[in-house]
Amino acid sequence: MAEQIQKKLQGELEKYQQLQKDLSRAVAARQKLEAQLTENNIVKEELELLDATNTIFKLMGPVLVKQEMEEAKGTVGKRLEYITGEIKRYEQQMQELERRSEQQRETLGRLQQELQRGQGKG
Amino acid sequence: MEAFSGALPLSPALVGRLRQECEKVVTSCQEKIQHWKKVESDYEALQERLRTLPNKLSYDIMVPFGPLAFMPGKLVHTNEVTVLLGDNWFSKCSAKQAVELIEHRKKHVRKVLDDLQKVMKNFESRAEFTDLQKMSDAAGDFVDIREEIEDVSIETKGKYRTAHKPHSKPKLSNVFEVDFPANGSDTKSMGHFQSEEELWAHLEELERQEELLGELDRMPNTAETNGEDTSSSEEEKEDKRTDLNGMYRAEDCITQGNFHKEVTNSDLFGGQVNGSTYYHSDDEDDIDVGDNSVPTIFFSHTVEPKRVRINTGKNTTLKFSEKKEEANRKRKNSSGNGHATPELPNIKTPADIYRVFVDVVNGEYVPRKSILKSRSRENSVCSNTSDNSAAEFDDRQGVQRSISCDEATQSDNSESILEEEEEEEEEGQQQLPKKLLPSSGTTEAFSGTVIEKEPLSPSLIPHPVIAHPILPTILERKSEEVLSKASEETPKRISKFKAARMQQPS
Repeated sequence: MAEQIQKKLQGELEKYQQLQKDLSRAVAARQKLEAQLTENNIVKEELELLDATNTIFKLMGPVLVKQEMEEAKGTVGKRLEYITGEIKRYEQQMQELERRSEQQRETLGRLQQELQRGQGKG
Repeated sequence: MEAFSGALPLSPALVGRLRQECEKVVTSCQEKIQHWKKVESDYEALQERLRTLPNKLSYDIMVPFGPLAFMPGKLVHTNEVTVLLGDNWFSKCSAKQAVELIEHRKKHVRKVLDDLQKVMKNFESRAEFTDLQKMSDAAGDFVDIREEIEDVSIETKGKYRTAHKPHSKPKLSNVFEVDFPANGSDTKSMGHFQSEEELWAHLEELERQEELLGELDRMPNTAETNGEDTSSSEEEKEDKRTDLNGMYRAEDCITQGNFHKEVTNSDLFGGQVNGSTYYHSDDEDDIDVGDNSVPTIFFSHTVEPKRVRINTGKNTTLKFSEKKEEANRKRKNSSGNGHATPELPNIKTPADIYRVFVDVVNGEYVPRKSILKSRSRENSVCSNTSDNSAAEFDDRQGVQRSISCDEATQSDNSESILEEEEEEEEEGQQQLPKKLLPSSGTTEAFSGTVIEKEPLSPSLIPHPVIAHPILPTILERKSEEVLSKASEETPKRISKFKAARMQQPS
């Protein structure tokens, strides 16, 4: 009986650990996105500072490709929106993961109690 | 940190851990700050370089060739700078434009630096605090001071008033001396509503202490009159230690306007004093003690009734006035209450006074205004420092009161009657306060008209139990009002609604 509980406990524990890993991954991704968000914001602002006479390049691989000012601004704006959307998505994911991990924790707690009881009896 | 119980949230181990974490954050913040400061200085250097670069058309330099070799070369197009904007975006701009861009970036860096500084400061203070906690826990020098607030819900109509009148002595003694041994029960415990007897006992005790303190200093006039009341009440209540004295004192206090003390006293007394002037109980006490070392409060405006010293027990004597005695006797007869003093409403804070003493307007109970306001004076039981008007009032009130005393035999009836009478009196008194105001400006904080309703009033101090409404004095009336209003304070009090209801049929 106790062994069964122990096995169950192991299984639940692994699930919980997996959830935790997912959570941390999501957190890291979100942080990266945040950094990109800041960066793109700075780029946008600096583009405002420049005027039409400046040539704008985009680094694609080893190549610097010339871009138009408006094109660049548009691209940067779109990228910003994309990043914010990604952040939101990751937020939701994180919440979901947290909820699930909370449930797992409860389950783990219960199993542990059962195990203790079983051990106590036996 | 020695052995603290592990259950303590502030156990040394936990506190130590907390402090560690705080310090960790602080260190990391410091590192980040260092990093960003370097970034800023780099940008500064870059700006400087950009400013000087366009000075020459071309520079002769040694160009790095791999990690180990250099070769001579020329730096041309000194004004053209390709700037990395971020996220793989570049732009060709002049040196000046590049400088502007750098300036913009520096702004951003400075913002980050500021935020980091704030965070660091926060955590530093937190770490300090936890340290302090640990220290205190270990040393035990710093104790979390907790004061359990008693059940008395401190309600104040507006702000607490401060005494206008400077008292000769700080009223602190009142507060501190109260070590009320339970006269029957420790009513003195902060704000516990206890039985009336206990309250009375407490009040009496306080009064005695006042006397002992010899604080009767203030308005001798007002003190006397009140003192008479108190003495008579004390006399009557000696056994019961009712709160009459306190009440009288409260009345006196009104004149004296020593709110501060009153507040403390009222707290001490546990709201025993009934009547609007309860919060003045302090003064009253003081007054009593001051003069002649007897707790008598004399009103300048009233004729001093004959005072006789009464031994009220523990080494205190109260002045007894015939008038008071009369009043007391009257009350006794009318109310049929064996106790000399009617039960007073349970007043523990000045706010209670407002609850207890309500104006009866059109049969409805209206909260009474503060006595310090002109309108409230009319109903105040405190003796007025001014001589003339007070005397007039007394006469008038005495008559009215006596009527009320006689008529009121039941709580309901008396309430209604008293209410009516009070209304009358109040109206009548309303005019007087104005007159009295100017004259009373001596030492009392309460410069308004305090009309001492006749010597009966002391004995008629409203008691918490409405059942004994037959209080010829305004005090009683007020107490009744208070009682009627503060139904929640004592079980015997009748809520104003009930009173209104009762009054309606009458």
